Amino acid sequence: MSSAALLGEASAPPGLATAALRRLAGISAIAGNTVREAVRSRLLYTLLGFGILLICAGVLLSSLSYVETDRILQDVGFAAMRFFGVAIALFVGVGLIHKEVERRTIYTILSKPLSRAEFLLGKFWGLALTVWMQLGIMAAAFAAVSWASGAPLGRAHAAACLLLGVELVVVVAIATFFSAFTTPMLSSLFAGGLWLVGNLTRDLREIGSGSELPVVRHVTVWLHRLLPDLASFNLSLEAAHGLPITALDVWLPVLYGAAYVAVVLVLAVAIFERRDFR
Amino acid sequence: MRPAASEIVRVTDVVKEFRSGAGLRKKRVLHGISFGVREGEIFGFVGPNGAGKTTTLKILMGLIRPTSGRAEILGHDVGETDFRRQVGFLPESPYFYEYLTGREILGFYARLCGVPRALRGGRVEALLSQVGLEAAADARLRTYSKGMLQRIGIAQALVHDPRVVFLDEPMSGLDPLGRKEIRDLILKLRAEGKTVFMNTHILSDVELACDRVAIIARGRIVHEGPIDAFLDGGERRSDLVLGAVSAALAAALEERFAAQLQPVGDRVEVRVREKDVDAVLRAALEAGASVLSINPHRVSLEAVFLSAIEAGERAS
Repeated sequence: MSSAALLGEASAPPGLATAALRRLAGISAIAGNTVREAVRSRLLYTLLGFGILLICAGVLLSSLSYVETDRILQDVGFAAMRFFGVAIALFVGVGLIHKEVERRTIYTILSKPLSRAEFLLGKFWGLALTVWMQLGIMAAAFAAVSWASGAPLGRAHAAACLLLGVELVVVVAIATFFSAFTTPMLSSLFAGGLWLVGNLTRDLREIGSGSELPVVRHVTVWLHRLLPDLASFNLSLEAAHGLPITALDVWLPVLYGAAYVAVVLVLAVAIFERRDFR
Repeated sequence: MRPAASEIVRVTDVVKEFRSGAGLRKKRVLHGISFGVREGEIFGFVGPNGAGKTTTLKILMGLIRPTSGRAEILGHDVGETDFRRQVGFLPESPYFYEYLTGREILGFYARLCGVPRALRGGRVEALLSQVGLEAAADARLRTYSKGMLQRIGIAQALVHDPRVVFLDEPMSGLDPLGRKEIRDLILKLRAEGKTVFMNTHILSDVELACDRVAIIARGRIVHEGPIDAFLDGGERRSDLVLGAVSAALAAALEERFAAQLQPVGDRVEVRVREKDVDAVLRAALEAGASVLSINPHRVSLEAVFLSAIEAGERAS
């Protein structure tokens, strides 16, 4: 077997399509292994178990009320999916790159024809897939509990779950960004803090717009622009209350989330490229 | 410095500084090192612990960026990635995903290296056989001994059949049998035409395997050249033991051949340049002396190594 054959090379240099396929193969290999590693985490199953438990507990909580039992059931369900989804993204995500460096597995990986950007993207997509799988399981539990309780289920619920998935990917990107240069403890603090603030930036801008001080108005507007506007991904209220949702309500946040993730990952790669692995 | 035509690795004036403390102070660990590795040779990069061997290797592998200077492999800057299809690397005390089996980890690395799916399985099996791990191929890496991990590490470095292989302390922590197996494997790589760059501080391994060496001490290259020239200081010598040496013969040997004579009982040990051995033997036999033994003289590698390091440190 010749070396050229093993390297998958023809005599001519690879075309753009071949080069792109090779890059995708490298990213998918890292992503696949990241999923494999993440699903071995006991913490992940603990968080997932608590999430499903809380979704089921919605039945109990809603039974305490005589009115809007379906809304309470689904409010609790969406809250459980959001909280535990974010917790999984943070606690599983922040350690993934740090572990590679600490255990020195990154040495052999980066010595292969794989750029640091591809490695980081592979880790990101692996974690995103893991989080989506967990969200899918929780969403299935949510649908099962709603169906068993006779609560309505429709496109609005699907749209709310989709946007929750986008929000979780934004959180995964933020976790990946911090884990590219700091410890898991600090990453989880920073990323968790950003998630909290990200859910408040819209309110902050509203409050700031009423201020008489121009500096306060400017600062709150810029905070809203720079920090993630995670409230834009929250359609759970509309879904649980049966309020109408337009296509723009869904696709604008999806586009915003994709753009935000892209910017965060570009910054993460820029920092990761400069790191020394001593 | 222009690279020699057959050079496959060229390091030129590489400086590396690490920030220490609060990041304000800088510690220089490589002081403008330069050396080259030729195609098809086993190159030993030798130095005591903390000399800068692993830092240099990490720069070559793109794990650390040099502060200044240039490092190239196969004519490519080490910051590039595509040329790494032709480069293999075994880090010191390698770590792998312990939840994978030997077969799975090699498949993973083959995929990263772009080995086509159709060839992947066959290549993995061939390597498992080459490093003697067929029986443990389906065991998880967490159950592997240090020697087995070292062998799987070598297998992953070779999974894409690279032209040049970098090995960081490939024999450290292995038992004598394991060291011999790895050494034989390295010699086999050279026989296949591959270039091997070996980072080590085990001098006996250098002596047995390497064609050329570079010695690094305190971040500076203090010697670079063929292993034989290094061992003999550029001149081989032989030890002769002669009997019935007359005073006239002794004087003639000292005068004509700059021989070093050492009487031992009724015999004389004579150390001469290897190129003079024939002439010395003729002179001795003509003078009626008897030749009891002839041994090529080799200075211990350790002694030369220490003296090179001391000389380098004095110069710096």
